[in-house]
Amino acid sequence: MPERTVTIASSVGLHARPASLFSQAAAKAGVPVTLTTKAGKSVNAASILGILSLGIGHGEEVTLSADGDGADAALDSLVALLSTDLDKE
Amino acid sequence: MADAALSSLLAESSIRLDSHAADRLDAVRQCGQALLEAGAVDESYIDAMLQREQSVSTFVGEGVAIPHGTLAGKEAVKQDALVVLRFPGGVDWDGNDVRVCVGIAAAGGGHIALLSQLAEILLDPAKAEQLRSATQVQQVYDLLTPEDD
Repeated sequence: MPERTVTIASSVGLHARPASLFSQAAAKAGVPVTLTTKAGKSVNAASILGILSLGIGHGEEVTLSADGDGADAALDSLVALLSTDLDKE
Repeated sequence: MADAALSSLLAESSIRLDSHAADRLDAVRQCGQALLEAGAVDESYIDAMLQREQSVSTFVGEGVAIPHGTLAGKEAVKQDALVVLRFPGGVDWDGNDVRVCVGIAAAGGGHIALLSQLAEILLDPAKAEQLRSATQVQQVYDLLTPEDD
């Protein structure tokens, strides 16, 4: 299954605004995407509550995985999103 | 479990179970007003909350939204605090039906831990339903306290 590891770039972590933008993008990815923390906790990347419950901070590594048609492209665009400081206004 | 329980940031007078709002921005404004009255923020924080809401919806699912300020609004935070406003009639939140707003004032990193705790509660459908239908302040307290002892 294709997967990518990425470091959270948003300065305050994957919290409300970045988490919201990320889960919306994951929901539109066309394939189910799973986000797993270094501690091994996995959630559906399209669930903002799931993402928020992980309390992921700036600089933490997470792994995204997805399966099916277009999984690679979907993961690439989500990785690009997490590599951006989404808190920048 | 960390003892910075959500309920410790929540004053009894900051739980309002019978609120009414004309629309989503009105609901956000009321959350900001409640934080102001709790002494947690300066008035400018309300504008920061409205700005955040207009930039990205703070709806998180389960009929709950979590209005809070932008990063720039952090200087207006005097102390971390929560307010809980229940809208029994519902508020149209960009097509979503919101029954509960948890307004958040957070200056530092407490923000993430706080959201994480709240999300854990809402991920339990039974607890989310209890929060939406709470009619007593004590029920809200009990829900937001992760452990009873």
